Amino acid sequence: MNLTPDSKVLIQGFCEFISATHIAQMKAYGTNLVAGVDPGCGGQQIYDLPVFDLVEEAISKFGQIDTTIICVHPYKVLDAALEAIASHIRQIIIISAGVPPLDMVELLRKTETHEILLVGPNSPGIIVPGKILLGTQPSEFYTPGSVGIVSRSSTLTYEVAWELTRAGLGQSISVSIGSDAIVGSSFSQWLQILDEDETTEAIVLVGQPGGESEEAAARYIAEAIDKPVIAYIAGRHAPTTKSWHQSGNLATVVRRDHNFGTTQNKSAAFQAAQVPVAEYPAQIPQLLKKVMGNR
Amino acid sequence: MDLLEYQVKEWFNKMGIPVLPSQRIDHPTDLKRLKIRYPIVLKSQVHADERAKAGGVRIVETTIDAIAAAQNIFNLPIWGELPEVLLAETKYDAKDEFYLAVVLDTALCRPVLLGCKEPDIDWESPGEKMQYVVVEQEFSPFYARRLGLKMGLQGALIQSISDIVEKMYQLFVQKDLDLVEINPLAVSVSGQVMALNGKVRVNERAINRHPEIAQMAAKMLGRHRSSKINSTLGDWDGLEMHGKIGILGNGTGSVLTTLDAVVNAGGKPGVSLNLRHSFLTDTGPTTFCDRLETGLKILAADKSIQVILINFLGSIPQVSEVPEVIANFIQLDPKELKSHLSNGSKNQPKHLPRLVLRLAGSDFQDARKYLATLKPEGETLIIVENLDEAVTQAVRLSKLPAYKR
Repeated sequence: MNLTPDSKVLIQGFCEFISATHIAQMKAYGTNLVAGVDPGCGGQQIYDLPVFDLVEEAISKFGQIDTTIICVHPYKVLDAALEAIASHIRQIIIISAGVPPLDMVELLRKTETHEILLVGPNSPGIIVPGKILLGTQPSEFYTPGSVGIVSRSSTLTYEVAWELTRAGLGQSISVSIGSDAIVGSSFSQWLQILDEDETTEAIVLVGQPGGESEEAAARYIAEAIDKPVIAYIAGRHAPTTKSWHQSGNLATVVRRDHNFGTTQNKSAAFQAAQVPVAEYPAQIPQLLKKVMGNR
Repeated sequence: MDLLEYQVKEWFNKMGIPVLPSQRIDHPTDLKRLKIRYPIVLKSQVHADERAKAGGVRIVETTIDAIAAAQNIFNLPIWGELPEVLLAETKYDAKDEFYLAVVLDTALCRPVLLGCKEPDIDWESPGEKMQYVVVEQEFSPFYARRLGLKMGLQGALIQSISDIVEKMYQLFVQKDLDLVEINPLAVSVSGQVMALNGKVRVNERAINRHPEIAQMAAKMLGRHRSSKINSTLGDWDGLEMHGKIGILGNGTGSVLTTLDAVVNAGGKPGVSLNLRHSFLTDTGPTTFCDRLETGLKILAADKSIQVILINFLGSIPQVSEVPEVIANFIQLDPKELKSHLSNGSKNQPKHLPRLVLRLAGSDFQDARKYLATLKPEGETLIIVENLDEAVTQAVRLSKLPAYKR
């Protein structure tokens, strides 16, 4: 993974989820944004960036690109990502929300076998506070420090960061892996990255109902993570309206887990892994201070 | 979004999945011009699963009986839904009945093929009877044969079942489905297979890239402008609750955290909407501000809602247009909400709900300044930065008597 300020960054597409403010913010943060790619707009300047029609044109001008931030219409995300992969870009962050899931299935079949770090879709990207911003995370909520955040909700990531900042706890890396039904990287992948990251002392995992990524993360923490982890799952009081027959998880039903996807199931999994679970965001700093003090 | 059986069978037919000769019946008198032979099965075209149990499926032998049965079915609501059309279909004698499905498993991030040698699956404990094969890489027919073998099929049946599964998979990919199901798949004495009933669930995020599905969705919405929309169209990024505090947010997690906070503070959450994605009721492209405006109107049209709690933090698309949408809303005449009333109820709201806005982040500086200049009467607009404070205010306002204009 290359999260250093000298890594070259490209933006593919300019949709509603990215604005001049985001781009200015990234630049102000020291992110080395070199160009944009927007088919049909080659030769123009958009948000102060030179724009090309193809990724390979940008590469021939600026050399190998480390990270691309994809912000095209959701129906064009698969194509943009395949173009980036064809140009040997290894870090792909998808900001666009609402990518059709079968497109993601196709993309995952590629990235899983090519050692590509894929974040999103429907993700505000990654921030290393004080160092680099790859995406649309609002930097004002962050302050450099030693707490890593991995989340699958965008706005909730900032909510948690803000609570930490207000409680005097800075952050090392914050990533939202995306809140679409199928996303590129898993909690476990990021837990491993944060576990290996030297500045990270403790990790906050932010989840929500649906799927079983939190349960898998809980098992992974019990097996492989040495740093303290605090979990927070939104939706304790939300009605569990989506039954299995509506959630598109027949195969999971075959494996017979009736509580599949519920907040309760996720909390229980974390408790079984001895991971403290916060009941609301403001409780996270309290729990963190306890576990970090014990080290 | 679920399709009706007759629509499913039209798709099956186009894909080469065998279906029985059938005819769409829009009115009982259509049965006089029936082109298929008796005995026939008349089936109510509603979304409910328990249609047969509810009396929505009848076997008839003559035209007179068929007309009487059709009149009956047309007037029989099933789970509150009356059929627009019926399907008349040739009766079929099956030796065996199987279950087949292709489904997207979002936990595995892969499509899964499912098969069972019994059609009436007890979903509470499908146990060892249900077989499945995960389609890890690009589909190839061997995945379907693997399922056939796992189901314990033998001889020519392995090939005929895997042919059907292959076609189901093609349909699944072509039309961006979450689920395609054949239940039951009949097998005759001679080994011929026939899809007697089927289910298709289209993924809501992909509807607009298929013009013919977008058209079907628009029609369905036109027919069901009722609270049933949620169940017929699946999840539209909203939660239906019945409390006094409606919630709008820009992200699922944020909406859920707000909802939890309202409950923790002793309030009752009402309908909660995530504005990040377009609603299913939007058949064309929308902007964030369009969705904010629609969201406000949906919530305001709900009689039980007295307070709308908006939680925005970080950055949202077109932030500069937000204050205008809010300002327009608080000046709205409640009568204008009529078209947004979901159930055509006669009880129009006489007042608009109060608004509590939680705006956090530097993106909102200008919006906060502008909104502070609007000073509506009766605490109809409160702007705060902290979520807990916003929640406290919303809960307090929800316990006051309604604001009268």
